[in-house]
Amino acid sequence: MGLKNRLAYGFTQKIVSIDKEVLLKILVACLVALPLIVFVLYPLFHILGRSFQTPDGIGLSNYFSVLGSKRFLGLVYNSFAVTLVTTGLTVFLAFIFAFSIQRTNIPLKNLFRLITLVPLFAPSLVQAQGLLLLLGRNGLINRTLGTDFSIYGYWGIVISSVLYVFPYAFLIFSASLAMADNRLYESSRILGAGPWRTFITVTLPSTRFALMASTFVAFTLVITDFGNPMVIGGDYSVLATEVYNQVIGQANFELGTVIGMVLLLPVALAVAVEKYFNKNHQDQLSEHAKPMVVQPHKLRDAVFTIYSVLICLCILAVVGIVIFASFTHLWPYRMDLSLRHYAFDVQNGIQPLWNSIYVGFMAAGIGIVAVGLAAYITERFKTFLDSPLYFLCIVPAAVPGMVLGLGYILAFNNPSNPVYAIYGSLLLIAICNVYYYHAQGFLIASTSMKQISSTYDEASATLGGTFIRTIRKVTLPIMWPTLVGVAVFFFMRSMVTLSAVIFLITPSSQVAAVSVLLLEDRGAVNQAAAFSVCIMGVVVAFLLLARLVLNYFGYRNISLIR
Amino acid sequence: MKSNYGEPMNMNKIVSSFFCIALVLTLSLGAWPSHAQANEITVYTSYEEDEAAAFLDAFYRDNPDISVNLLRLSTGDLHARMLAESSNPRHDVIWGWAVTNMVDPRIMDMLEPYQPEGIHKVPARFRDAGNKWFAKTGYMAAFCVNNEILKRKNLPMPASWEDLLRPEFKGEVVMPNPASSGTGYLMIASILQMKGEEEGWEYLEKLDNNIAQYIKSGSRPCNAASAGEFAVGASFALRAIKNIEEGFPITMVIPSEGAGNELEATGLMKTSRNKETAKRFIDWTLSEKAVNEYYKWKEIVTVEGGAMPQNFIQAGLPQDIGSVMVDMDFPWSSANRDRILDEWQTKLER
Repeated sequence: MGLKNRLAYGFTQKIVSIDKEVLLKILVACLVALPLIVFVLYPLFHILGRSFQTPDGIGLSNYFSVLGSKRFLGLVYNSFAVTLVTTGLTVFLAFIFAFSIQRTNIPLKNLFRLITLVPLFAPSLVQAQGLLLLLGRNGLINRTLGTDFSIYGYWGIVISSVLYVFPYAFLIFSASLAMADNRLYESSRILGAGPWRTFITVTLPSTRFALMASTFVAFTLVITDFGNPMVIGGDYSVLATEVYNQVIGQANFELGTVIGMVLLLPVALAVAVEKYFNKNHQDQLSEHAKPMVVQPHKLRDAVFTIYSVLICLCILAVVGIVIFASFTHLWPYRMDLSLRHYAFDVQNGIQPLWNSIYVGFMAAGIGIVAVGLAAYITERFKTFLDSPLYFLCIVPAAVPGMVLGLGYILAFNNPSNPVYAIYGSLLLIAICNVYYYHAQGFLIASTSMKQISSTYDEASATLGGTFIRTIRKVTLPIMWPTLVGVAVFFFMRSMVTLSAVIFLITPSSQVAAVSVLLLEDRGAVNQAAAFSVCIMGVVVAFLLLARLVLNYFGYRNISLIR
Repeated sequence: MKSNYGEPMNMNKIVSSFFCIALVLTLSLGAWPSHAQANEITVYTSYEEDEAAAFLDAFYRDNPDISVNLLRLSTGDLHARMLAESSNPRHDVIWGWAVTNMVDPRIMDMLEPYQPEGIHKVPARFRDAGNKWFAKTGYMAAFCVNNEILKRKNLPMPASWEDLLRPEFKGEVVMPNPASSGTGYLMIASILQMKGEEEGWEYLEKLDNNIAQYIKSGSRPCNAASAGEFAVGASFALRAIKNIEEGFPITMVIPSEGAGNELEATGLMKTSRNKETAKRFIDWTLSEKAVNEYYKWKEIVTVEGGAMPQNFIQAGLPQDIGSVMVDMDFPWSSANRDRILDEWQTKLER
C-alpha cells in the first residue's frame, strides 16, 4: 500500500469514527433525556390537560372558579406570609451558624454540624409533631410551667418550617464559607479594616451566590411542604395543604390540578432566577488561593459558641422529644418507659420500612446512572443537546412533589401506557423519587464533574479513547466517591419523602413515611413517633456504612449529607 | 489494522455493559409487580387499621388459600383514589366504606350487583335495592371529653351539642372538617336533618364561635382531646372507647339530641379480575365468624348474632344503640353533599 493510499484510508476511517462518536453521543443524550420526558414532562402535561377539563369540555372554568374566589386569595396570602418569613429567618440563622462553623474557633464543630443535619434524617412531619409535644396546649412546656399558650397556626408552621429547611440552607452556606482565599482577609487586615468591615466588604460579597441559592431553596421547600402545616397549622391553611384537601378530601382533581399549576409558578420562577444568576457565576477561587486561617478571638468564639449551642438545643429538643415519646407508656400521662409502641398494630406491621429500604436502594441505583450520565453529557459532550438536556435535568426542582405524584396517577394508571406494567410497584415509587429529586442529584454530580479538569478528557480523546472509554478509565475512577454521595442522597430522600409517593402507594407497596402519616392521622402519636425513629435509625445506619466504605478507600473529605 | 476504540463491537459492549448496571441494579432488587395470582384479591377499605387487621386475621383462619391485598385509607382518600383510578380500577372489592360515598353515581357505576350468601341476614333498609352494596357495620358520632382539663379549668361535663355552645367552651372544642372527613360530614348532615336546614345552619354558626379548629380527619379530634390539647373532641364512638381502653383520661359522651351515624358498605367491582375469589371474600363477610368479629369491634352491627362487648358498655355505650341514634336519611346526605359542603365552606371554613 502506497503512503498516499494509507493516508487516505486513515483519513476516511477517522471521519467515520468521528461521525459514529457524535451519533453515539446524541443517542446516549437522547437515552438520558427520554426518561426525563416520560417521568417528568409527560405527567405534568397530564395535569395541565386535566386542569382545563370541565364537565362541559375544555375550558378555563376551573381556573376562574379557583382564582376568583376570596378563599384562594387568602391562601396565597397565607402561603407567602409563611414562606417569606420562614425563608428570611432560616437564611439569617443558618448563615450565622455556618459562619460559626467555618470562620470561628468554636469547640466541637463536628458535633454541632452533625446535630444540625439530624432533621434531614426524619420525615418533615416529625418536626411539627415534636413541636406539638413540646409546645402544644398540653405540651411539655405548658404542662411543667402551668402556662396556657397555643402553638397552632401561623407561628407553629413558621417554627417547624424553619427547623425543616435549616439544614438545607446551612449546607449551602457552609460550602460557600469553606471556600475562602486567605490573601483577601490578610489584605483587608493589613489595610486596617476591623472584623465588621472585613465581613461587609469581603465575606458577604463572596457568599452572595450562596445567599441567593439558599433563599430560593428555602422558599421552594417551604411553599410546597404540606407535612408541617397539616400537623401544626390548625385552621391556618396554605396552598400546599389545599391541594391535599382538594384531591384527597374532596376528590376534586380539577381544582387540585389548578392549584398545583398555580403552585408551580412561583417555584418555577424562583428556580429560573436562581439558575440564571448561577450561570453567570464564576468560581472566585484561583489556584493561588491560600486556605483560610481563622484568627483567634476569644469574645467572638464565646458568643458564637453560645449561639451554636442554642441552635443545636432547639433542633435536639424537637427531635429528641419525639424519640422520647416513642419510648413512653402513654404520653403525656404515663412517662414510664415502654417498648409497646414498637409493636405496630397496623396492617403489614413493619413491612413498609423494608419496602422503603428497598425503594431507597433502587432509587440509589437508578439515580446514580441517570444523574451521573446526565452530568457527564451536559459537562463533556459538546453537542447541540447540552442546554435542552441541562434544562430538562433541573426542571424537577420546580415541581412540587404532590403535583408530580398526582401527575403519575393521571398519566400512568392506564393499561395502554407502557409504564402501566410497573404501575403500583415499588419500582415506580423509586423512579418517582429519582425524578422528583433529579435536579439536586444532578447538581451534586455536575458540580463534581466540573471540578475534574476536562484536560483528562481531552488527553484521553487525543489518545484515541472514545467517551465511553474515558468514562470507564478516567471519569468513573475519579468520580465514584461523589457517586456514592449521590446514592446516599437518593437513599436518604427516598426514606423520608412523603409528598409524591402518597399518591402511588398500593396495598403491597406501602412505604414508611406514609405509614407515619397514617399513624399520625389515626392519632397513634406514639406509634407514629416510633416509626419515625425506625426511619431515622435506617438512614443513620446507611450513612455510617457509606462513610466506612469511603474512609476505607481513603476518601475522608467527601461530604455525604446534602 | 490495530483495534480502534471506535470499533462498533467494542462500543456496543461497553454501552450495553453500562446500561446493564442500571438494569441489574433495579432488577436484582426486584419489585416488578406481582400479577394477580389465582387466589389473590385486592380490597380497599376504610375500616380503622387495627380493626381491619383483626377482621383479616379471622378471614385467613377460614380461608388460608386466599391472599388479600388490603389498602386502608380514610373515607375521603379512598374516594379520591377510586375516582382517579376509575379508568382502570386496581381493586376487586370495596369493603366497609361510607354509604354516603358509595352511592355517588360515579362509584355506583363501577359496582356489579351481587347477592352474597346470607344476604337475607341484612335488613333490607341496609342494602341497595339493586344489590350493588350492603352495609353490615357502622359508626356513630360521640364526643371525647378530657377529664383532666375539665377539672383544671373547672368546666362542666357537656351532654349535648347544645351544651357545646356555652361560652366557657370557647376555644376548647375541636371537630372534623366535613369537607375532608366522613365523620365530620355525618355530624353536619345529622344536625341539619334533626333541626331542619335553617335552624341547623344557625346552630352551626353559633357553634363556630367555640370551635378551636376544624381538623381534617375524623379520629384526630378525639385524639387531640385525649392528648389534652383541647377539652372536647367531636369524633366517633369507637375511637373514644379505644382511647379509654388505652388509658387516656377521657369520657365518652353521646350527644343527647341523638348521634349522627354512618353505615359501612361492601360491594363487588365490575372490573374485578378475580370474581370467584372476590365473591368468596364477600360471602365470608356475612359469615357467623365475621359477624362475631364485628361485635368485638363495631358500635353498630346491622346483622343479628352477637352481643356488645363489656368494655363498650363500660365506656358508656347504651346496649340498645338504636335508642340514641339519629335516623339518618342517607340518600339526602349523599344527594346534597356538594351543596352542603359548598355552603359550609362559604360560611364557616377558615
